[in-house]
Amino acid sequence: MWQGHELFLSSLPKLVPYIPVTLLCFLAPTAVSLVLGTLICRIRVGRKNALYYITSLFVSFFRGTPGLVQIFLFFFGLPKVFELFGVNINGWDAVVFYIIATCCNFSSFVSEALRGAYEAVDKGQIEAGYSIGYTRFQCFYHVIAPQTLQIALPNLKNLEIDLLKGVATAYVIGAIDVMGAAQRIISQHRGYGQIWILLAAAALYFVMNVVIEAVFNFLTYICNRHERVRI
Amino acid sequence: MNLNYAFMLEDIPVVLSALPRTLGLTFCSLFFAIVTAVLFGICILKNIPVLKQFLIGLNTVIKGIPLMVQLLLCYYAIPYLLRAADGFLGYVYNPKNPSYFAFAVVAFAINYGAYMTDVVVSSYRAVERGQLDAAYSVGMTAFQGMFRIVIPQAVVISIPNLSNYFMWLLKATSLASVVNVFEILATARMSTANNYAILEGYIVAALIYWAVCVIFEKGLNCLNKKMSRYRNDIVVS
Repeated sequence: MWQGHELFLSSLPKLVPYIPVTLLCFLAPTAVSLVLGTLICRIRVGRKNALYYITSLFVSFFRGTPGLVQIFLFFFGLPKVFELFGVNINGWDAVVFYIIATCCNFSSFVSEALRGAYEAVDKGQIEAGYSIGYTRFQCFYHVIAPQTLQIALPNLKNLEIDLLKGVATAYVIGAIDVMGAAQRIISQHRGYGQIWILLAAAALYFVMNVVIEAVFNFLTYICNRHERVRI
Repeated sequence: MNLNYAFMLEDIPVVLSALPRTLGLTFCSLFFAIVTAVLFGICILKNIPVLKQFLIGLNTVIKGIPLMVQLLLCYYAIPYLLRAADGFLGYVYNPKNPSYFAFAVVAFAINYGAYMTDVVVSSYRAVERGQLDAAYSVGMTAFQGMFRIVIPQAVVISIPNLSNYFMWLLKATSLASVVNVFEILATARMSTANNYAILEGYIVAALIYWAVCVIFEKGLNCLNKKMSRYRNDIVVS
Protein backbone atom coordinates (compact mmCIF):
# COMPACT_ATOMS: atom_id res chain seq x y z
CA MET A 1 0.00 0.00 0.00
CA TRP A 2 2.89 2.32 0.74
CA GLN A 3 4.46 1.79 -2.65
CA GLY A 4 4.19 4.42 -5.32
CA HIS A 5 4.01 7.43 -3.06
CA GLU A 6 6.30 9.31 -5.44
CA LEU A 7 3.31 9.26 -7.77
CA PHE A 8 1.56 11.69 -5.43
CA LEU A 9 4.06 14.44 -6.18
CA SER A 10 4.59 13.54 -9.80
CA SER A 11 0.87 13.49 -10.65
CA LEU A 12 0.06 16.78 -8.92
CA PRO A 13 1.55 18.97 -11.69
CA LYS A 14 -0.25 16.83 -14.27
CA LEU A 15 -3.59 17.45 -12.55
CA VAL A 16 -3.19 21.18 -11.97
CA PRO A 17 -3.81 22.15 -15.65
CA TYR A 18 -7.31 20.66 -15.36
CA ILE A 19 -8.34 22.93 -12.50
CA PRO A 20 -9.80 25.50 -14.96
CA VAL A 21 -12.11 22.80 -16.37
CA THR A 22 -13.31 21.99 -12.87
CA LEU A 23 -13.82 25.66 -12.18
CA LEU A 24 -15.75 26.06 -15.44
CA CYS A 25 -17.96 23.11 -14.45
CA PHE A 26 -18.49 24.90 -11.17
CA LEU A 27 -18.88 28.55 -12.18
CA ALA A 28 -21.13 28.08 -15.22
CA PRO A 29 -23.88 26.26 -13.28
CA THR A 30 -23.47 28.76 -10.45
CA ALA A 31 -24.06 31.72 -12.75
CA VAL A 32 -26.94 30.13 -14.63
CA SER A 33 -28.57 28.80 -11.47
CA LEU A 34 -28.59 32.16 -9.75
CA VAL A 35 -30.72 33.52 -12.61
CA LEU A 36 -32.79 30.41 -13.32
CA GLY A 37 -33.17 29.62 -9.62
CA THR A 38 -34.44 33.12 -8.92
CA LEU A 39 -36.97 32.83 -11.75
CA ILE A 40 -38.18 29.42 -10.55
CA CYS A 41 -38.37 30.76 -7.01
CA ARG A 42 -40.40 33.75 -8.23
CA ILE A 43 -42.84 31.40 -9.98
CA ARG A 44 -43.06 29.04 -7.03
CA VAL A 45 -43.90 31.71 -4.46
CA GLY A 46 -46.55 33.23 -6.73
CA ARG A 47 -49.98 32.26 -7.94
CA LYS A 48 -50.75 28.61 -8.62
CA ASN A 49 -51.11 28.68 -12.39
CA ALA A 50 -49.93 26.22 -15.03
CA LEU A 51 -46.37 27.56 -14.84
CA TYR A 52 -46.34 26.89 -11.11
CA TYR A 53 -47.15 23.23 -11.59
CA ILE A 54 -44.65 22.83 -14.42
CA THR A 55 -41.81 24.30 -12.36
CA SER A 56 -42.87 22.27 -9.34
CA LEU A 57 -42.58 19.12 -11.44
CA PHE A 58 -39.18 20.30 -12.71
CA VAL A 59 -37.90 20.98 -9.20
CA SER A 60 -39.33 17.73 -7.85
CA PHE A 61 -37.68 15.71 -10.61
CA PHE A 62 -34.27 17.31 -10.33
CA ARG A 63 -34.29 17.14 -6.53
CA GLY A 64 -35.67 13.62 -6.49
CA THR A 65 -33.18 11.91 -8.77
CA PRO A 66 -29.43 11.49 -8.27
CA GLY A 67 -27.17 13.90 -10.11
CA LEU A 68 -25.36 10.97 -11.66
CA VAL A 69 -28.56 9.71 -13.30
CA GLN A 70 -29.31 13.20 -14.61
CA ILE A 71 -25.85 13.46 -16.14
CA PHE A 72 -26.40 10.19 -17.97
CA LEU A 73 -29.91 11.23 -19.03
CA PHE A 74 -28.64 14.45 -20.57
CA PHE A 75 -25.61 12.81 -22.10
CA PHE A 76 -27.66 10.19 -23.91
CA GLY A 77 -30.99 11.98 -24.17
CA LEU A 78 -30.08 15.46 -25.35
CA PRO A 79 -28.64 14.30 -28.71
CA LYS A 80 -31.92 12.45 -29.33
CA VAL A 81 -33.96 15.54 -28.54
CA PHE A 82 -31.83 17.68 -30.84
CA GLU A 83 -32.12 15.01 -33.51
CA LEU A 84 -35.83 15.84 -33.74
CA PHE A 85 -34.88 19.30 -34.96
CA GLY A 86 -32.26 17.95 -37.30
CA VAL A 87 -29.32 19.21 -35.24
CA ASN A 88 -26.44 16.88 -34.59
CA ILE A 89 -24.78 17.59 -31.25
CA ASN A 90 -22.94 14.32 -30.86
CA GLY A 91 -19.68 16.16 -31.33
CA TRP A 92 -20.15 18.35 -28.28
CA ASP A 93 -17.71 17.92 -25.46
CA ALA A 94 -18.88 15.92 -22.46
CA VAL A 95 -18.21 18.98 -20.31
CA VAL A 96 -21.07 20.79 -22.08
CA PHE A 97 -23.51 18.00 -21.28
CA TYR A 98 -22.33 17.97 -17.69
CA ILE A 99 -22.85 21.72 -17.40
CA ILE A 100 -26.35 21.60 -18.90
CA ALA A 101 -27.42 18.76 -16.61
CA THR A 102 -25.93 20.45 -13.58
CA CYS A 103 -27.56 23.77 -14.41
CA CYS A 104 -30.98 22.11 -14.26
CA ASN A 105 -30.09 20.21 -11.10
CA PHE A 106 -28.50 23.09 -9.29
CA SER A 107 -31.08 25.72 -10.17
CA SER A 108 -33.80 23.60 -8.58
CA PHE A 109 -31.76 23.35 -5.39
CA VAL A 110 -31.00 27.07 -5.46
CA SER A 111 -34.65 27.88 -6.06
CA GLU A 112 -35.63 25.86 -2.99
CA ALA A 113 -32.98 27.57 -0.87
CA LEU A 114 -34.14 30.98 -2.08
CA ARG A 115 -37.78 30.09 -1.56
CA GLY A 116 -37.15 29.10 2.01
CA ALA A 117 -35.26 32.34 2.59
CA TYR A 118 -37.95 34.44 0.89
CA GLU A 119 -40.60 32.95 3.11
CA ALA A 120 -38.49 33.82 6.12
CA VAL A 121 -38.41 37.51 5.16
CA ASP A 122 -40.90 39.48 7.20
CA LYS A 123 -43.83 40.37 4.93
CA GLY A 124 -44.17 43.68 6.76
CA GLN A 125 -40.86 44.69 5.19
CA ILE A 126 -42.34 44.38 1.70
CA GLU A 127 -45.44 46.31 2.69
CA ALA A 128 -43.22 48.97 4.22
CA GLY A 129 -41.34 49.16 0.94
CA TYR A 130 -44.55 49.73 -1.00
CA SER A 131 -45.83 52.19 1.57
CA ILE A 132 -42.92 54.54 0.99
CA GLY A 133 -43.68 54.49 -2.73
CA TYR A 134 -41.24 51.90 -4.07
CA THR A 135 -42.09 50.35 -7.41
CA ARG A 136 -42.13 46.58 -7.61
CA PHE A 137 -38.58 46.50 -8.95
CA GLN A 138 -37.29 48.89 -6.31
CA CYS A 139 -38.99 46.84 -3.63
CA PHE A 140 -37.33 43.70 -4.98
CA TYR A 141 -33.93 45.31 -5.34
CA HIS A 142 -33.78 47.28 -2.10
CA VAL A 143 -35.92 45.24 0.27
CA ILE A 144 -36.47 41.63 -0.76
CA ALA A 145 -33.21 40.67 -2.47
CA PRO A 146 -30.74 41.77 0.25
CA GLN A 147 -32.68 40.12 3.05
CA THR A 148 -33.36 36.94 1.10
CA LEU A 149 -29.71 36.63 0.14
CA GLN A 150 -28.57 37.14 3.68
CA ILE A 151 -30.81 34.36 4.95
CA ALA A 152 -30.04 32.05 2.04
CA LEU A 153 -26.25 32.44 2.08
CA PRO A 154 -25.38 29.67 4.57
CA ASN A 155 -27.54 27.27 2.60
CA LEU A 156 -26.10 28.44 -0.69
CA LYS A 157 -22.59 27.95 0.65
CA ASN A 158 -23.31 24.31 1.43
CA LEU A 159 -24.90 23.83 -1.98
CA GLU A 160 -21.95 25.42 -3.77
CA ILE A 161 -19.49 23.20 -1.94
CA ASP A 162 -21.57 20.19 -2.90
CA LEU A 163 -21.60 21.44 -6.48
CA LEU A 164 -17.83 21.71 -6.57
CA LYS A 165 -17.45 18.23 -5.16
CA GLY A 166 -20.05 16.96 -7.60
CA VAL A 167 -17.77 17.91 -10.49
CA ALA A 168 -15.80 14.78 -9.62
CA THR A 169 -18.69 12.72 -11.01
CA ALA A 170 -18.33 14.30 -14.45
CA TYR A 171 -15.68 11.81 -15.45
CA VAL A 172 -18.26 9.03 -15.82
CA ILE A 173 -19.39 10.55 -19.11
CA GLY A 174 -15.85 11.25 -20.21
CA ALA A 175 -15.43 14.87 -19.21
CA ILE A 176 -11.79 15.50 -18.35
CA ASP A 177 -11.65 17.58 -15.21
CA VAL A 178 -9.25 16.94 -12.30
CA MET A 179 -10.92 13.62 -11.53
CA GLY A 180 -11.02 12.59 -15.18
CA ALA A 181 -7.34 13.44 -15.53
CA ALA A 182 -6.59 11.39 -12.41
CA GLN A 183 -8.44 8.43 -13.89
CA ARG A 184 -6.48 8.89 -17.09
CA ILE A 185 -3.16 8.85 -15.22
CA ILE A 186 -4.31 5.75 -13.34
CA SER A 187 -5.01 3.94 -16.58
CA GLN A 188 -1.66 5.10 -17.98
CA HIS A 189 -0.02 3.37 -15.03
CA ARG A 190 -2.22 0.32 -15.60
CA GLY A 191 -3.78 0.69 -12.18
CA TYR A 192 -0.50 1.00 -10.29
CA GLY A 193 -0.54 3.39 -7.33
CA GLN A 194 -4.16 4.48 -7.82
CA ILE A 195 -4.39 5.49 -4.19
CA TRP A 196 -1.66 8.09 -4.48
CA ILE A 197 -3.02 9.59 -7.68
CA LEU A 198 -6.49 9.79 -6.16
CA LEU A 199 -5.03 11.40 -3.06
CA ALA A 200 -3.41 14.03 -5.27
CA ALA A 201 -6.81 14.75 -6.83
CA ALA A 202 -8.37 14.81 -3.37
CA ALA A 203 -5.79 17.35 -2.22
CA LEU A 204 -6.60 19.63 -5.16
CA TYR A 205 -10.34 19.40 -4.49
CA PHE A 206 -9.73 20.14 -0.84
CA VAL A 207 -7.76 23.28 -1.65
CA MET A 208 -10.49 24.46 -4.04
CA ASN A 209 -13.11 23.85 -1.36
CA VAL A 210 -11.15 25.88 1.17
CA VAL A 211 -11.01 28.78 -1.28
CA ILE A 212 -14.74 28.59 -2.03
CA GLU A 213 -15.53 28.45 1.65
CA ALA A 214 -13.37 31.52 2.30
CA VAL A 215 -15.15 33.40 -0.50
CA PHE A 216 -18.54 32.59 0.96
CA ASN A 217 -17.47 33.53 4.45
CA PHE A 218 -16.43 36.89 3.04
CA LEU A 219 -19.81 37.26 1.30
CA THR A 220 -21.60 36.41 4.54
CA TYR A 221 -19.48 39.03 6.28
CA ILE A 222 -20.57 41.62 3.70
CA CYS A 223 -24.24 40.63 3.83
CA ASN A 224 -24.30 40.87 7.60
CA ARG A 225 -22.68 44.31 7.71
CA HIS A 226 -25.84 46.10 8.83
CA GLU A 227 -25.96 43.91 11.93
CA ARG A 228 -22.55 45.02 13.06
CA VAL A 229 -23.11 48.79 13.07
CA ARG A 230 -25.34 48.49 16.11
CA ILE A 231 -23.60 49.73 19.22
CA MET B 1 -38.58 10.76 -29.89
CA ASN B 2 -38.00 7.24 -31.08
CA LEU B 3 -37.62 5.49 -27.77
CA ASN B 4 -38.14 1.80 -27.26
CA TYR B 5 -41.22 2.12 -25.06
CA ALA B 6 -41.95 -1.62 -24.98
CA PHE B 7 -38.47 -2.23 -23.64
CA MET B 8 -38.90 0.46 -21.02
CA LEU B 9 -42.01 -1.25 -19.70
CA GLU B 10 -40.39 -4.63 -19.43
CA ASP B 11 -37.25 -3.05 -17.95
CA ILE B 12 -39.12 -1.60 -14.97
CA PRO B 13 -39.37 -4.85 -12.96
CA VAL B 14 -35.75 -5.67 -13.79
CA VAL B 15 -34.47 -2.37 -12.44
CA LEU B 16 -36.95 -2.45 -9.58
CA SER B 17 -35.42 -5.73 -8.44
CA ALA B 18 -32.31 -3.73 -7.51
CA LEU B 19 -34.27 -1.42 -5.23
CA PRO B 20 -33.67 -3.59 -2.12
CA ARG B 21 -29.95 -3.30 -2.74
CA THR B 22 -30.11 0.49 -3.01
CA LEU B 23 -32.20 0.68 0.15
CA GLY B 24 -29.92 -1.81 1.90
CA LEU B 25 -26.91 0.28 0.96
CA THR B 26 -28.68 3.41 2.20
CA PHE B 27 -29.76 1.99 5.53
CA CYS B 28 -26.46 0.20 6.22
CA SER B 29 -24.55 3.38 5.45
CA LEU B 30 -26.96 5.43 7.53
CA PHE B 31 -26.56 3.08 10.49
CA PHE B 32 -22.76 3.12 10.41
CA ALA B 33 -22.72 6.86 9.70
CA ILE B 34 -24.81 7.48 12.81
CA VAL B 35 -22.55 5.21 14.85
CA THR B 36 -19.48 7.09 13.59
CA ALA B 37 -21.16 10.43 14.19
CA VAL B 38 -22.14 9.53 17.75
CA LEU B 39 -18.62 8.30 18.57
CA PHE B 40 -17.04 11.41 17.05
CA GLY B 41 -19.66 13.59 18.69
CA ILE B 42 -18.97 12.12 22.12
CA CYS B 43 -15.25 12.77 21.69
CA ILE B 44 -15.91 16.37 20.66
CA LEU B 45 -18.51 17.03 23.36
CA LYS B 46 -16.33 15.49 26.07
CA ASN B 47 -13.53 17.89 25.07
CA ILE B 48 -10.90 15.18 24.94
CA PRO B 49 -7.80 17.33 24.36
CA VAL B 50 -5.93 16.09 21.30
CA LEU B 51 -8.64 13.83 19.91
CA LYS B 52 -11.13 16.66 19.63
CA GLN B 53 -8.91 18.84 17.46
CA PHE B 54 -7.88 15.84 15.43
CA LEU B 55 -11.49 14.83 14.77
CA ILE B 56 -12.54 18.36 13.84
CA GLY B 57 -9.65 18.53 11.38
CA LEU B 58 -10.47 15.09 10.03
CA ASN B 59 -14.10 16.07 9.52
CA THR B 60 -13.04 19.19 7.63
CA VAL B 61 -10.84 17.12 5.34
CA ILE B 62 -13.52 14.50 4.76
CA LYS B 63 -16.08 17.16 3.94
CA GLY B 64 -13.69 18.87 1.55
CA ILE B 65 -13.08 15.81 -0.61
CA PRO B 66 -15.64 14.67 -3.16
CA LEU B 67 -17.60 11.55 -2.27
CA MET B 68 -16.64 10.04 -5.62
CA VAL B 69 -12.94 10.31 -4.75
CA GLN B 70 -13.54 8.80 -1.32
CA LEU B 71 -15.51 5.97 -2.84
CA LEU B 72 -12.72 5.15 -5.28
CA LEU B 73 -10.10 5.51 -2.52
CA CYS B 74 -11.99 2.99 -0.38
CA TYR B 75 -12.44 0.76 -3.40
CA TYR B 76 -8.70 0.68 -4.06
CA ALA B 77 -7.29 1.00 -0.53
CA ILE B 78 -9.45 -1.38 1.51
CA PRO B 79 -8.15 -4.52 -0.27
CA TYR B 80 -4.60 -3.50 0.74
CA LEU B 81 -5.73 -3.03 4.32
CA LEU B 82 -7.50 -6.37 4.30
CA ARG B 83 -4.42 -8.06 2.91
CA ALA B 84 -2.36 -6.47 5.67
CA ALA B 85 -4.91 -7.79 8.17
CA ASP B 86 -4.56 -11.33 6.82
CA GLY B 87 -3.97 -13.79 9.66
CA PHE B 88 -4.92 -11.23 12.28
CA LEU B 89 -7.39 -12.78 14.78
CA GLY B 90 -7.92 -15.69 12.45
CA TYR B 91 -9.12 -13.52 9.57
CA VAL B 92 -8.46 -15.04 6.16
CA TYR B 93 -8.13 -12.62 3.27
CA ASN B 94 -9.92 -13.81 0.16
CA PRO B 95 -8.81 -11.72 -2.83
CA LYS B 96 -11.10 -13.53 -5.24
CA ASN B 97 -14.38 -12.37 -3.83
CA PRO B 98 -14.18 -8.80 -2.47
CA SER B 99 -17.37 -7.38 -1.06
CA TYR B 100 -17.79 -4.16 -3.02
CA PHE B 101 -21.01 -3.51 -1.14
CA ALA B 102 -19.09 -3.35 2.15
CA PHE B 103 -16.44 -1.06 0.61
CA ALA B 104 -19.15 1.34 -0.52
CA VAL B 105 -20.76 1.24 2.93
CA VAL B 106 -17.41 2.19 4.47
CA ALA B 107 -17.04 5.17 2.13
CA PHE B 108 -20.60 6.41 2.70
CA ALA B 109 -20.34 5.87 6.45
CA ILE B 110 -17.14 7.91 6.65
CA ASN B 111 -18.46 10.74 4.49
CA TYR B 112 -21.90 11.04 6.04
CA GLY B 113 -20.52 10.32 9.50
CA ALA B 114 -18.48 13.51 9.17
CA TYR B 115 -21.58 15.49 8.24
CA MET B 116 -23.72 13.93 10.94
CA THR B 117 -21.14 14.64 13.63
CA ASP B 118 -22.16 18.29 13.31
CA VAL B 119 -25.79 17.28 13.70
CA VAL B 120 -25.04 15.26 16.82
CA VAL B 121 -22.96 18.03 18.38
CA SER B 122 -25.33 20.86 17.55
CA SER B 123 -28.49 19.03 18.61
CA TYR B 124 -26.90 18.01 21.90
CA ARG B 125 -25.92 21.61 22.52
CA ALA B 126 -29.41 22.78 21.55
CA VAL B 127 -30.85 21.04 24.61
CA GLU B 128 -30.94 23.59 27.35
CA ARG B 129 -28.40 23.19 30.11
CA GLY B 130 -31.20 23.72 32.63
CA GLN B 131 -32.80 20.44 31.61
CA LEU B 132 -29.88 18.48 33.00
CA ASP B 133 -29.78 20.61 36.13
CA ALA B 134 -33.49 19.95 36.60
CA ALA B 135 -32.85 16.22 36.23
CA TYR B 136 -30.18 16.37 38.92
CA SER B 137 -32.42 18.41 41.18
CA VAL B 138 -35.09 15.69 41.18
CA GLY B 139 -32.43 13.19 42.18
CA MET B 140 -31.61 11.52 38.88
CA THR B 141 -28.12 10.11 38.40
CA ALA B 142 -25.94 11.43 35.60
CA PHE B 143 -26.77 8.36 33.54
CA GLN B 144 -30.51 8.76 34.04
CA GLY B 145 -30.39 12.46 33.29
CA MET B 146 -28.54 11.79 30.08
CA PHE B 147 -30.67 8.92 28.80
CA ARG B 148 -34.08 10.02 30.03
CA ILE B 149 -33.89 13.78 29.66
CA VAL B 150 -31.18 15.04 27.35
CA ILE B 151 -30.83 12.41 24.65
CA PRO B 152 -34.56 12.06 23.84
CA GLN B 153 -34.75 15.81 23.32
CA ALA B 154 -31.56 15.89 21.28
CA VAL B 155 -32.91 13.10 19.06
CA VAL B 156 -36.12 15.01 18.40
CA ILE B 157 -34.12 18.12 17.50
CA SER B 158 -31.84 16.20 15.16
CA ILE B 159 -34.58 14.44 13.18
CA PRO B 160 -35.20 17.14 10.51
CA ASN B 161 -31.46 17.32 9.77
CA LEU B 162 -31.06 13.57 9.78
CA SER B 163 -33.96 13.09 7.37
CA ASN B 164 -32.35 15.66 5.11
CA TYR B 165 -29.09 13.71 5.11
CA PHE B 166 -31.02 10.52 4.54
CA MET B 167 -32.44 11.92 1.32
CA TRP B 168 -28.96 12.99 0.22
CA LEU B 169 -27.60 9.57 1.05
CA LEU B 170 -30.36 7.80 -0.85
CA LYS B 171 -29.41 9.73 -3.98
CA ALA B 172 -25.69 9.47 -3.32
CA THR B 173 -25.85 5.66 -3.35
CA SER B 174 -26.12 5.90 -7.13
CA LEU B 175 -22.40 6.74 -7.08
CA ALA B 176 -21.74 3.20 -5.86
CA SER B 177 -22.51 2.03 -9.38
CA VAL B 178 -18.97 3.02 -10.39
CA VAL B 179 -17.45 0.64 -7.82
CA ASN B 180 -19.27 -2.50 -8.97
CA VAL B 181 -22.21 -2.37 -6.59
CA PHE B 182 -25.27 -3.45 -8.53
CA GLU B 183 -27.81 -0.99 -7.25
CA ILE B 184 -30.49 0.68 -9.37
CA LEU B 185 -28.24 2.63 -11.71
CA ALA B 186 -25.77 -0.16 -12.41
CA THR B 187 -28.61 -2.64 -12.90
CA ALA B 188 -30.29 -0.28 -15.34
CA ARG B 189 -27.05 -0.02 -17.31
CA MET B 190 -26.59 -3.79 -17.25
CA SER B 191 -30.12 -4.47 -18.40
CA THR B 192 -29.56 -2.40 -21.53
CA ALA B 193 -26.40 -4.25 -22.51
CA ASN B 194 -28.22 -6.47 -24.99
CA ASN B 195 -30.03 -3.94 -27.15
CA TYR B 196 -28.13 -0.66 -26.68
CA ALA B 197 -31.29 1.05 -25.39
CA ILE B 198 -29.07 2.94 -22.96
CA LEU B 199 -31.21 6.04 -22.67
CA GLU B 200 -34.34 3.99 -21.97
CA GLY B 201 -32.57 2.21 -19.13
CA TYR B 202 -31.50 5.49 -17.57
CA ILE B 203 -35.01 6.92 -17.92
CA VAL B 204 -36.40 3.92 -16.06
CA ALA B 205 -33.76 4.35 -13.34
CA ALA B 206 -34.57 8.04 -13.03
CA LEU B 207 -38.30 7.37 -12.72
CA ILE B 208 -37.74 4.77 -10.02
CA TYR B 209 -35.42 7.06 -8.07
CA TRP B 210 -37.94 9.85 -8.40
CA ALA B 211 -40.79 7.71 -7.10
CA VAL B 212 -38.74 6.38 -4.19
CA CYS B 213 -37.52 9.84 -3.23
CA VAL B 214 -41.00 11.34 -3.34
CA ILE B 215 -42.38 8.54 -1.18
CA PHE B 216 -39.59 8.88 1.37
CA GLU B 217 -39.86 12.65 1.39
CA LYS B 218 -43.59 12.49 2.11
CA GLY B 219 -43.04 9.90 4.84
CA LEU B 220 -40.27 11.90 6.49
CA ASN B 221 -42.35 15.07 6.34
CA CYS B 222 -45.11 13.22 8.20
CA LEU B 223 -42.57 12.05 10.77
CA ASN B 224 -41.20 15.56 11.18
CA LYS B 225 -44.69 16.93 11.74
CA LYS B 226 -45.42 14.25 14.31
CA MET B 227 -42.13 14.87 16.06
CA SER B 228 -42.48 18.64 16.11
CA ARG B 229 -45.15 18.20 18.78
CA TYR B 230 -42.42 17.10 21.17
CA ARG B 231 -40.32 20.17 20.56
CA ASN B 232 -41.02 22.80 23.14
CA ASP B 233 -40.24 25.77 20.92
CA ILE B 234 -36.51 25.52 21.05
CA VAL B 235 -34.71 28.63 19.93
CA VAL B 236 -31.49 27.54 18.29
CA SER B 237 -29.24 30.56 18.36
